[in-house]
Amino acid sequence: MKRLAWRRLLAGATLVVLVLPLLAACTTVAVPTEMAAVPAGPVQGGTWTEASSADGTILNPILASDAASFDMMPYFPGLLGTNPKTGAVEATEMAESWTVSEDSLVWTFNLRPGVTWSDGEAVDAHDFKFTYNAIASELVETPRKANVAGIESIEVIDDLTVRVTFTDLKCDGLLDLGLGWLPSHLYAEDFSDIMDSPLNTAPTVTAEAFGFKEWQRDNFIAMESNDGFWKGAPNMDGQIIRVIPEASSRLASLEKGEIDVMGLEPTQLTRVGLNPDLNIFKFKDDGYSYIGLNQANPANPLPGQDEDGNLVEQDPHPILSDKMVRKAMAHSLDYEAIINKVYLGQGYKLASNVLPAVGWAHDASIEPYAYDLEAAAALLNEAGWTDSDGDGVRECNGCATAEAGVTLSLNLKTNAGNSTREELGVLVQDQLNSIGFDIEFEAIEFGTLVGELLGQTYEMVIIGWTGLGTDPNDDSFWHSKFDTPGSGFNFVSYQNPRVDELLELGLETPGCAAEDRAPYYYEIQQIIHDEIPYLFVTGSIGNVGYSNRWEGIDPGTWSFSWNIHEWALTE
Amino acid sequence: MTRYIIRRLLQAIPTLLGISLLGFTLIKVAPGDYVLMSTFDPSITAEVRDELRQQLGHDQPIPIQYVEWLTGVSLRGGDVVDAMAPMSKNCHSFGSLGFTFCDRGGGLLRWDLGYSLATKEPVWDMLRSRMPASFELGVVVLVLTFLFGVPLGFLGALFRGSAKDQGIRLLSVAGQAVPNFWMGLICIFVFSVLLGWLPVGGRMTISLDMKFSLVDRIRHLILPSFVLSLGGVAFLTKLVRTQVLEVIAQDYLRTARAKGLGSLALWTRHVLRNAMLPLATVLGPAIVGVISGALVIETIFAWPGVGRLTWFSALQRDYPMIMGAVMFYSALTILGYLISDILYAAIDPRIRL
Repeated sequence: MKRLAWRRLLAGATLVVLVLPLLAACTTVAVPTEMAAVPAGPVQGGTWTEASSADGTILNPILASDAASFDMMPYFPGLLGTNPKTGAVEATEMAESWTVSEDSLVWTFNLRPGVTWSDGEAVDAHDFKFTYNAIASELVETPRKANVAGIESIEVIDDLTVRVTFTDLKCDGLLDLGLGWLPSHLYAEDFSDIMDSPLNTAPTVTAEAFGFKEWQRDNFIAMESNDGFWKGAPNMDGQIIRVIPEASSRLASLEKGEIDVMGLEPTQLTRVGLNPDLNIFKFKDDGYSYIGLNQANPANPLPGQDEDGNLVEQDPHPILSDKMVRKAMAHSLDYEAIINKVYLGQGYKLASNVLPAVGWAHDASIEPYAYDLEAAAALLNEAGWTDSDGDGVRECNGCATAEAGVTLSLNLKTNAGNSTREELGVLVQDQLNSIGFDIEFEAIEFGTLVGELLGQTYEMVIIGWTGLGTDPNDDSFWHSKFDTPGSGFNFVSYQNPRVDELLELGLETPGCAAEDRAPYYYEIQQIIHDEIPYLFVTGSIGNVGYSNRWEGIDPGTWSFSWNIHEWALTE
Repeated sequence: MTRYIIRRLLQAIPTLLGISLLGFTLIKVAPGDYVLMSTFDPSITAEVRDELRQQLGHDQPIPIQYVEWLTGVSLRGGDVVDAMAPMSKNCHSFGSLGFTFCDRGGGLLRWDLGYSLATKEPVWDMLRSRMPASFELGVVVLVLTFLFGVPLGFLGALFRGSAKDQGIRLLSVAGQAVPNFWMGLICIFVFSVLLGWLPVGGRMTISLDMKFSLVDRIRHLILPSFVLSLGGVAFLTKLVRTQVLEVIAQDYLRTARAKGLGSLALWTRHVLRNAMLPLATVLGPAIVGVISGALVIETIFAWPGVGRLTWFSALQRDYPMIMGAVMFYSALTILGYLISDILYAAIDPRIRL
């Protein structure tokens, strides 16, 4: 479920609010008709309350790595905005405009004048430079170092102009510049106080719609509205995020009016739908669920490339390295039934790796695999996997990848506690076993699963991606250079030199125009669809339940609360 | 008695060191690690993960990491003073011996549980900040458990075989059999959603201009303390009932009765005192439970206690935080059993410490 972190991507015009004089109080004075017709301004006051399943860890945008923390720190301005409906990059945040060099390596951003921190200091190019230099500093321990890996230099031309030079052309490089800026005037110039600064738990200034008020760990965080917000003072007094780990308790709180919004699970949709005080916002999320098929031998994980960048031949998985077996699996799953029974209709069939949400790069002409048990059985027979002893499990009788007599037995894992994935696992086990597989399914603790996944010591895994963002580049899943046991995300050991080449071309397209990049991603999707390193189970549909006591809420796929400063109580 | 307590406390030191070694090894050999968990993000490269591991010292062998956690001293092979200096106070290279020695500060031996990897806050501060909530709930649960468990057990024994006894036994079995997460959710649905009498969860009503209100705190305490004490009340009722039945069957009680001892004196001086002995065994660990939190109830009722902190730290593989919690619980448990032993001696004069 995509969280409400999109709030950071505030965009849109400021609503100018005119508050009528308190004429109504003067009951003896006749109100002229013309004046009575003037609409009243938005109601002022009230507190917007959200529920989060987990507490944040730290309120510093360059140290945090979890969604809950980013939700809890809408204080730090960002360089670029995102259109809440389309996901397109827009000049709606600190960057008012920008120019790009011909080789697309040098980006010069003109910053918005007049934006200040709540203590009166200007938000300017020095804050941007300080933030990114801090990430690069050896004094700062942060997983965000990837954000500066492709940056050659950052120059402050003047207070409101900053120039970023990238080392290599990377069409999704702008996403690296998306972190919130730190108020540089509150930190030591040498970054020595960043790791243990008290500001990490209690930021004293803000340049966004809300400012920090109080944080009680594992309980709540309270934020007050920032009247000096450059897009306009919020109508509400502030917002609170309550930490409520249990989904049923969150729903009870929403129904009782103790919170105003929460991400809904499919089982909660009916109750919220029947409640006249609540609305539901449904959207195609930027994520999907899949079954990863490890094509290499889990007993002998090898990197995809050697130190010189040459492909390393993998020790193949005795069953899953056979494309015909993978294709048979793809035909054995009843996606319609899975989406309806497991996801309660909150999903959609998916043919390949680029989501419809990234419209310009998504190839809608590729059809998802059809549920066709006859075709699946024929493929397995053709591949040399037959049930010669009549025990219901096929064995290798002339197969290409395993020794004769090896049974079609595989282990399928997922993370325990995720009831949807656990249900999916049982259904998949049932459906694959029905055509002669012998699937052992187990749900294990998430940390353990992550260890096995990245260590590439598993065979099949049910997992999903979320927050894939607005760019179609997903080289970390498919490029052989990211097949690095222990840490790479190409943990299915997928190797295809053409896909490696296409991914590089898609990222390094001169000018980075969508129409020039799209053909590369179309071809990638077709190859991924044909070679089946993943069984694409369903695209994610997100549902947000929210109270109708607020007006002005205009949620988009990429941001629910982009215009939160305009929201007001209905009465 | 004082010598006994001092001896037991001294004995606790090697026990705690042993627990720390075992605990540290177990969490380190468990699959998954903090760096993987905090960077389970495809946009983060393997190089970044390796650099982070190096900065945190997680690339070192487990014994070296243990020594570092225990003493705050880092040991590395070769001359790596330049690389280590930014993260340490003092670094010296012992060229002839081929290693670098750095003082990172902290360490259990210096009475410092270190910093949480996730929040960068001192582990002890994080534990301490959750204790009031756990303590508040724990004390109320402990009081409720003894307030209802002991009298119900006595009543059951007093009216043995009667309808009252049957009713109490039924409640006792039900109280132990019903899972508290289910009872919690049912209570929320009935008392909060349907009837609207009590808040769904949390420790207080949260608003931008919060002020302390005892009534509000009590309203928030009712459901979690009721649900959490059910199991304890049921257990204690059963224990006390069995114990009292055992005591009243003893010869010395018949003798006392034959000597003409009054009913009140009989029950308070002979039955109650003897039946309380096993309670002392329960009370020590129960006191530990007061501070150590209750994961399930804290989760369902959004109660910001120590249990949830420990659980989430384990999920995140936040090693210093997990070790801090392990040491804290271990020390409390040792203390709990010491209290049990002291109570035992206080109740039963035959026992000498």
